[in-house]
Amino acid sequence: MMIFKKALPRRTFLQGMGATIALPLMEGMVPAFSSSPGPADTATRLTFVYFPNGAIMNKWTPAAEGTAFELPEILKALEPYRDQLLVLSGLDNHPAQGLPGIDVSGEHPRASGAFLTGVHVYSKARDLSAAVSIDQIIARQFQKNTQLASLELGVESSEILGTCDGTCTYQNTLCWRTPTTPLPMENEPRAVFERLFGDGDSTDPAEQLARIRKRSSILDLVSQRASRLVGELGPSDRTKLNEYLEAIRDVERRIQLAEEQATRKFPTVKRPTGIPPTFTEHIKMLFDLQVLAYQTDLTRISTLQIAHEQTNISFPDIGLNDAYHPLTHHQGDPEKIARALQVNVFHSQMFSYLLEKLKSTADGDGSLLDHSIVVYGGGLSDGNLHLPTELPIVLVGGGSGGIKGGRHVRYPKNTPLMNLHLTLAHKLGVPLEKIGDSTGEISL
Amino acid sequence: MLRGIVCGVTIVLLTAVGYGFQQPSPQRAVVNQYCIGCHNDKLKTGGLTLENADLSRVGDQAPVFEKIVQKLRSGSMPPVGLPRPDAATYNSLATYLETELDRTAAAHPDPGRPAVHRLNRAEYANAVRDLLGIDTAALDFSSLLPADDAAYGFDNIGDILGVSPALLDRYLSAAEKITRLAIGDLTLPPVLETIDVAKDLRQDKRISDDFPAGTRGGIAFQHYFPLDGQYLIKTRLQRDFLGTIIGITEPKRIDVRVDGVRVKLFSVGGERKGKSNDVAADYEYLSTADSILEVRFPAKAGSRLVEVTYLKDTVKSETGRAPRRGETIDGLDSVTIGGPYEATGVGETASRIQILTCQPASNAKSDPCAKKILAAIARRAYRRPVTDEDVRPLLTLFKNGQSAGGFEAGIRTAIQGILVDPEFLFRIERDPKNSAPGAVYRISDLELASRLSFFLWSSIPDDELLKLAEQGRLKDAKTLEQQVRRMLADSRSKALVDNFAGQWLYLRNLRTKFPDPAIYPEFDDNLRQAMEKETELFFESIVREDRSVVDLLNADYTFVNERLAEHYGIPDIHGSQFRRVQLSDQNRRGILGQGSILAVTSYPGRTAPTLRGKWLLENILGTPPPPPPPNVPSLKDDREANTLTMRKRMEQHRANPACASCHRIMDPLGFALENFDAVGMWRTKQGANPIDASGELPDGTKFEGPAELRQILLGKREQFVETVSGKLLTYALGRGVEYYDMPAVRKIVRDAAPTEYKWSSIVLGIVRSAPFQMRKRS
Repeated sequence: MMIFKKALPRRTFLQGMGATIALPLMEGMVPAFSSSPGPADTATRLTFVYFPNGAIMNKWTPAAEGTAFELPEILKALEPYRDQLLVLSGLDNHPAQGLPGIDVSGEHPRASGAFLTGVHVYSKARDLSAAVSIDQIIARQFQKNTQLASLELGVESSEILGTCDGTCTYQNTLCWRTPTTPLPMENEPRAVFERLFGDGDSTDPAEQLARIRKRSSILDLVSQRASRLVGELGPSDRTKLNEYLEAIRDVERRIQLAEEQATRKFPTVKRPTGIPPTFTEHIKMLFDLQVLAYQTDLTRISTLQIAHEQTNISFPDIGLNDAYHPLTHHQGDPEKIARALQVNVFHSQMFSYLLEKLKSTADGDGSLLDHSIVVYGGGLSDGNLHLPTELPIVLVGGGSGGIKGGRHVRYPKNTPLMNLHLTLAHKLGVPLEKIGDSTGEISL
Repeated sequence: MLRGIVCGVTIVLLTAVGYGFQQPSPQRAVVNQYCIGCHNDKLKTGGLTLENADLSRVGDQAPVFEKIVQKLRSGSMPPVGLPRPDAATYNSLATYLETELDRTAAAHPDPGRPAVHRLNRAEYANAVRDLLGIDTAALDFSSLLPADDAAYGFDNIGDILGVSPALLDRYLSAAEKITRLAIGDLTLPPVLETIDVAKDLRQDKRISDDFPAGTRGGIAFQHYFPLDGQYLIKTRLQRDFLGTIIGITEPKRIDVRVDGVRVKLFSVGGERKGKSNDVAADYEYLSTADSILEVRFPAKAGSRLVEVTYLKDTVKSETGRAPRRGETIDGLDSVTIGGPYEATGVGETASRIQILTCQPASNAKSDPCAKKILAAIARRAYRRPVTDEDVRPLLTLFKNGQSAGGFEAGIRTAIQGILVDPEFLFRIERDPKNSAPGAVYRISDLELASRLSFFLWSSIPDDELLKLAEQGRLKDAKTLEQQVRRMLADSRSKALVDNFAGQWLYLRNLRTKFPDPAIYPEFDDNLRQAMEKETELFFESIVREDRSVVDLLNADYTFVNERLAEHYGIPDIHGSQFRRVQLSDQNRRGILGQGSILAVTSYPGRTAPTLRGKWLLENILGTPPPPPPPNVPSLKDDREANTLTMRKRMEQHRANPACASCHRIMDPLGFALENFDAVGMWRTKQGANPIDASGELPDGTKFEGPAELRQILLGKREQFVETVSGKLLTYALGRGVEYYDMPAVRKIVRDAAPTEYKWSSIVLGIVRSAPFQMRKRS
């Protein structure tokens, strides 16, 4: 009998592993616990945290440059990390600007589409076309040592219809593995947890190993069939199948590393059971998972998108029931500016939670924050005017000694944002010649 | 005289070869008079010049002329204010261009080339349901797989559906979970699944027909019981901000049923009123009294309906009167199902019966049976006859699984392989071997069968359709029509309601619409669910009764239950079940009078005439406005703007010429619906000011209110049918409709006209069209 009732979402958890969504997932300081100390403990982690729709810039940019500067209202929450903080002013992302004759609007998808890629994207085109994003360029190097090449997270669901001109893909994600492969930003904590630790019923290592070996044999079968298929298809069809084969290779690589690292013990953490009811709890849980991923060295690079460009979500947690996007088109109205400012402040307060967790997590001879570079910023500066220039960007973290914090640096006019990405790649030992419209390194 | 004749003949001859003294064609004359003023080589207004366009070779410049046709048919060119020819001449120019374009297309069709098409989440779930016989509505699919990206308004667009490593991981996990449930696995550990009840659901009355009579509130859902064994149902009641259970000072009865059979009737509450001297004990009771709402019971494996509700006659607020709207009444907070405990067997579920079509003779002689099972599933999964080459590797997987866990474990492993196979996950269409690049060919019957079933059912072909395709009989026009009609009549065509209407009409957005409770306190989840159901039932009636698609705008009936009828002001409707009603209120007819559409085109705090106008232009008239320029100001919500009506505040749109060109078209359409507030309720005043629902289109047409707006739209019914056909074609092909598809769209509309645009005519038109039946080689 066919039953077509609607499915209801549910929160699932294994018996005996906790009945409520608890924050934080780990309480207090949890010591690093990888089985073999060594380079892995102090490898630098790279994190991008992105916010949409711009910021009220005169409350973001410190008045003074150099070391003696006051943190304006939006950045006040980062005061405890001043010594490891760099405020970077004057970076532009020109590829996010519209091309005359082609773009009538689309400032928002272009802003997020270009943030990590440095290329112009067009959401009304038939096919997807971006470029490999900086996090993925670096991930390809890092993935030699970590089971997950990278981790992409987002707070906002991708399920709202009718809000995008053309496709929503350039707003749903910042990260591109190939110019045509967007990486979904997972917003369900349970799915993230399972991506990290698998969804097996048992933590018994022998069982886990048997399970991943079974997956490996399945992947062997399907990758052979896919390779044969590719030969039978026309060139434009091959891209999709090649993407599929790439995905298989990535999973197989992970399986191999997992087998090599099979003696690793993972902590017993509470497995999340669903999406928490408030934004605050939701984003904190995702931050917890990022930290967990770094702690367990499952990955060394991750990106989190606080909300999509052009998002219409509201922030009831701070008493704001207005849709956010129209609010950022304040047209100079001081009352609207004040409300939009509240959202900026809220976001950076949430961001400081991540910093707090990184700081309080031991890592080798210091903390995770000491061995991190965290980039916090957005693809638009003035959300009202849709400007992708003079972007709001801060860098936090010790960078394993590679970053000297406590400064507000202003770059010369027209310095590409991609120069920052290029510089970070070099600092992380990735030989990269160019990305997007980069012209060289910047001094950090 | 001879010279005169020679001259005359020469002139005739010269004219015949197109020299000099040519009389302009009637079309050329019209274009010269009304278009060239702006669209000439010098000015190139809008990037277009028609000065030297060859109107006898329209088909050679299809992209440009299709655009021109669109402008003409929507009446937007020449711009209002500039001279235009009389209606007859105007139409005849448009018709001439269309005829030319269609003629060229008929001679050289361009069916386009849909990309290799990955199954989206809904299609995957349905395919698994049909392949394995497991009730996927009883599983939480939204957590098994992530949501898909959308384009052109739909989430089944092949070009943007790809596979990332994270997604492949999910496919592997999903395959494991699904096969363990479909076949049963005694090593499955117990899990706890919690289903939350919406916080804004009012639980003072019976929710819907799914619930037993004599009950109120609560929740009903399909749940998959993985094995025969013991299960646990635990109920949690809503608390107030103090942490005490709402209404627990009064006795209540909680009814727990599985498949309609009562498992337990609880009596809870009323033992303490919170007024004793022992405050601690009082609080203890008031905050934990629902801990007794736990029952353990045996159940057999399979998909079963679980219902937990209050028995009626227990609704009494603390003061003894019936609760007023907006007042907090008690309710279920969540239900948790745990199990299986002490599993006794895998049971005889529908999926086991469907999959295990034989039993192995013995462990040693299990290959023939495994082969039979796997070959049958692979054929349906890959949607084509299978060969030894397909089955052999599946047998290898089977043997691996069998050596670890026995026959059924082996079958499970092999099916997991099928569920992540590229020929299951992707719809592959192959170019014929010896065709030239750019050649146009008819797709094979098997490929056509897949296109048909994913179009009408969002799922794999069933056995009947697959057999006909294997026999090459779908080429026969009569057989094809028969199949289309059969598939539309089949209950699986509900997928068109869920996936086509759900996205075209933005219905899915309703679930995440939260009107500001301070402004619309009467809006609750009951109303939200009712609105969604109304539009679903309405759309389904158009499909099942094969009505004209124009009825979507104009039908004189709808479906309501008591809650929705109350909202619409329809008297004498009692009870939670939905029933068809004749509409006497002219303003409520069609989808434009339905709460769902009116709510999804509003903001949380106010109506948005521009949003509604834009929605109409995009989804009803097919003439979407270009996006707004930057620095667009936004407007205050209803709370703050009681001094001015919405339309007065929007006068700014028309005052600024940069905004006016689009807003003169958009806003009036939205104004006509201003009597419907942001939750679809009829109003005649906004604050102190009466609603002014009048509008005027750029061409001078005046109208007032929804009924007159509807008449205007009905006057453009071909445009509406063309828009619906275009959207349906996008959905059917899994790619955006391009200029070269327009001749096909026009043909669909033309061919459906004799039946007054019946739904089946549109669908058949699509199925018979070149883009659906053919493909272009790359």
